[in-house]
Amino acid sequence: MPELGRAALVVALGLVAYAALAGGYAAHRGRRRLLDSATNALFAAFATVGVAALVLLAALARYDFSFSYVASHTSRELPLGYTLASFWSGQEGSLLLWLLVLTGLGSAAVALNRRLVRSVLPWTVPILGAVASFFAVVLVFVASPFATQVAPLDGAGMNPSLQNPYMMAHPPLLYLGYVGLTIPFAFAMAALASARTDERWIVATRRWTLASWTFLGFAILLGAKWAYEEVGWGGWYAWDPVENAALMPWLVATAFLHSVMVQEKKNMLRVWNAILVAGAFSLSLFGTFLTRSGVINSIHSFTQSPIGAWFLGFIVVVVSASAALIIFRLPVLRTHTRLESLVSREAAFLYNNLFLVALALTVLWGVLFPLVSEAVRGVAVTVGAPYYDFFAIAFGLPLVLLMGIGPLIAWRRASLRALGESLLWPAGVALLAGGLLLAGGAGSKPAGLIGYTFAAFVLAAIVLEFVRGTRARHALGSETWPGALTSLVARNRRRYGGYVVHASIVILLIGAVGIGGFGTTREAKVAAGESMSVGDYKLTYLGSEEERAANAQEVRARIAVSRGGDELGTVLAGKNRYFAEQQTSNEVAIRSDWLRGEDLFVIADQFNGDGTVYLKVLVNPLVNLLWLAGLVFVLGSLITMWPDAREQRRLASRFAEEGVLVRV
Amino acid sequence: MELVALLLAALLAVACVAFVARPFLAEPETGDDSLGQASPAERERLRLLEDRDRALAALKELEFDHRTGKVSDADYEELVGPLRRQAAVALQGLEPARSVEAEAEAGDKVDARA
Amino acid sequence: MARRRSPARLVIALSVAAALAVFLVYTALAGGTPSLQPSDLSGQSGRISVAGKVVGKPTGTARGESGLRFTLRDVQGTARVPVVYRGSVPDLFRTGRDVSVEGTLVNGVFVGDKLVTKCPSKYTNKAS
Repeated sequence: MPELGRAALVVALGLVAYAALAGGYAAHRGRRRLLDSATNALFAAFATVGVAALVLLAALARYDFSFSYVASHTSRELPLGYTLASFWSGQEGSLLLWLLVLTGLGSAAVALNRRLVRSVLPWTVPILGAVASFFAVVLVFVASPFATQVAPLDGAGMNPSLQNPYMMAHPPLLYLGYVGLTIPFAFAMAALASARTDERWIVATRRWTLASWTFLGFAILLGAKWAYEEVGWGGWYAWDPVENAALMPWLVATAFLHSVMVQEKKNMLRVWNAILVAGAFSLSLFGTFLTRSGVINSIHSFTQSPIGAWFLGFIVVVVSASAALIIFRLPVLRTHTRLESLVSREAAFLYNNLFLVALALTVLWGVLFPLVSEAVRGVAVTVGAPYYDFFAIAFGLPLVLLMGIGPLIAWRRASLRALGESLLWPAGVALLAGGLLLAGGAGSKPAGLIGYTFAAFVLAAIVLEFVRGTRARHALGSETWPGALTSLVARNRRRYGGYVVHASIVILLIGAVGIGGFGTTREAKVAAGESMSVGDYKLTYLGSEEERAANAQEVRARIAVSRGGDELGTVLAGKNRYFAEQQTSNEVAIRSDWLRGEDLFVIADQFNGDGTVYLKVLVNPLVNLLWLAGLVFVLGSLITMWPDAREQRRLASRFAEEGVLVRV
Repeated sequence: MELVALLLAALLAVACVAFVARPFLAEPETGDDSLGQASPAERERLRLLEDRDRALAALKELEFDHRTGKVSDADYEELVGPLRRQAAVALQGLEPARSVEAEAEAGDKVDARA
Repeated sequence: MARRRSPARLVIALSVAAALAVFLVYTALAGGTPSLQPSDLSGQSGRISVAGKVVGKPTGTARGESGLRFTLRDVQGTARVPVVYRGSVPDLFRTGRDVSVEGTLVNGVFVGDKLVTKCPSKYTNKAS
């Protein structure tokens, strides 16, 4: 069956290449049937890639080790769930997943906006085809999932750290985000290519952008949860290049998402938006390049696999082509609308763009600098958490402040007096919170204290918005208070959904500052029966237990936990020694206290021959807010994206006036 | 196995080619193969429509902000005028186009009858 | 409508300048520990970090009396340095992995107290 897979990919390559070339000619010359044909090619490509994907999936389900890919990523004792999920745990399979998602989302986006694409944005098809062609070329010529070999007796197995539900869900969610950013990119560039200055591409792609951005953000947080529980050093984000690879496009996509609102409403920031969408897409490509090419380990390991060179080349092409197109269309993009005042909502969005882009560039520099330094001077320099933390605070805190001020400031020109009145309550709450925290001892970490003050400010501003809105709505009609709130949100989904998302970021901030700034760590060597105390907790080592699982030798320290005299049960912390992979992993014990929102994090570092165990224990305050933030984030996004019948009708009637229908 | 695989692949390829060729097979000869690009007049109309909607949306938002107390009465009075004018300008821009069309249509009808 | 020069340009220019200033202040104050390869180590003193590939079989225990002993080799080279490490051993540590150890060089042996493994690329095959 690998021949079917290989052939399917070759057919897919032909189809997307046709979509790119024929579609380009059709868009340039205005040929309807040829464009339809190219569009069909895109749809057919999705089906064909789907066939290839099914072939690989079937091979995995059968544990068919004649497929090199199956043999190198699974083994007989690997549970079926992980075996199937290893579809995306390796280079070739994950590229296939990328192409599948790309052709799928691309086809859906074009199909749902068929008439718009045909009459206004014909270049969307060739652009999507071109991007897909790159991945198809790599899959056919460089990294085929369908290489075969003489089937060994057993496969090489999966890295134990990947055998975890979070790590399994992480790539598909991440790809829905990464690949999803291709859609607004394709539509935006198509609009530029056709010299369209109207906003229809924004309206058409708004939900696509939102959904991709949500998936990407959620995937990043999921990765953090994995790192917290599995890698288990006590932290949740290490600013590792692999993590930053996903963060950079997310930051730029955040800027794009906000900035495009200004274009929709005020017809401004158009050049910004073109740059931002191209930037977000390029960074998503760069992100996957980083994690695939091995270049993050050392610039020298870059040459070990040809895939890195291919990706780098493609990124250069994408960036140059986008830049060329933007520069070429600059006269059309530039508007006469000028920023009237530095104290206005438009200006706030501009500052928002600047800070987010600055933060993204800082992270990019942090990732690139060691490589550049090594290439140029031969001496690598490690860029660690202190660098990132500094800039996350320097640029992040103003961003938090903007989250609070932005919604309260008026368009065009805000009088400082009116602004001051709006901000009075939130500022008051913030100062009160700050004062209380200072009294409570939070002054030990000034940055954390400021962060919390800002967080209180934003939360108060959001609550105020909800209160004022509900009150206004209630005053209108005969609704009850809860009814007024529901209909308020229902009629203004974008605004209030956005507020919920902002609230989730603030919750994330509170959690991050809690675990980062106000935690406690203690290390001790304890014998059976001995105790150690960390913060409020007292831990007593009861003894060690060993068990032989299917693929590992598991040893655990049983520890009794108490706090202030109350017995809180026992936890098991220890290590797994994996036979096949010859690797030892930490299996940490996490005891979450939901009321206090803190975690007791126990690492059994070492089991000594004399029966003592070396423990490293952390108390992570407010860490569970991080995960709560993730849920609130998704909730807010869903509210923002929820289809609004009224808005649909309005847009339908407007576009019917010009005879072109746009699905939003 | 190999033969089956190749056969399936061939079938797949044929199906795809047929699907891709469909627009040409369905309409071997067609009068209008153009992509329906907008004429300058249509683009201008589109711009006016967007201007109108933008102005109306801005008015709606201003009313909302005023009702929820974000914009003071004084500021509201100051801002609502220009926005209303903006909307009126856009609407006016659309009107003459419609009346010109109506005139042309009426003219055609007269010519046809004559 | 009065046509003034857009303040947006001024804002952007000032922001870029401010960002650069922040950046320069940071790099002046902080710095960053230079990360060397085993081949660059001769004669180094003070606190440094060594990055390389773990080769051979590690012996001892990191919390034990004599520490965890292993050898670090240039990622793309042959120069080696013996390492004695005392501290927490991260999950992904094993032979063949690229790690970074922070500490000091004492009589040709690198004595470290902070160990970090690079997240291995999921996409390189198991051999690496």
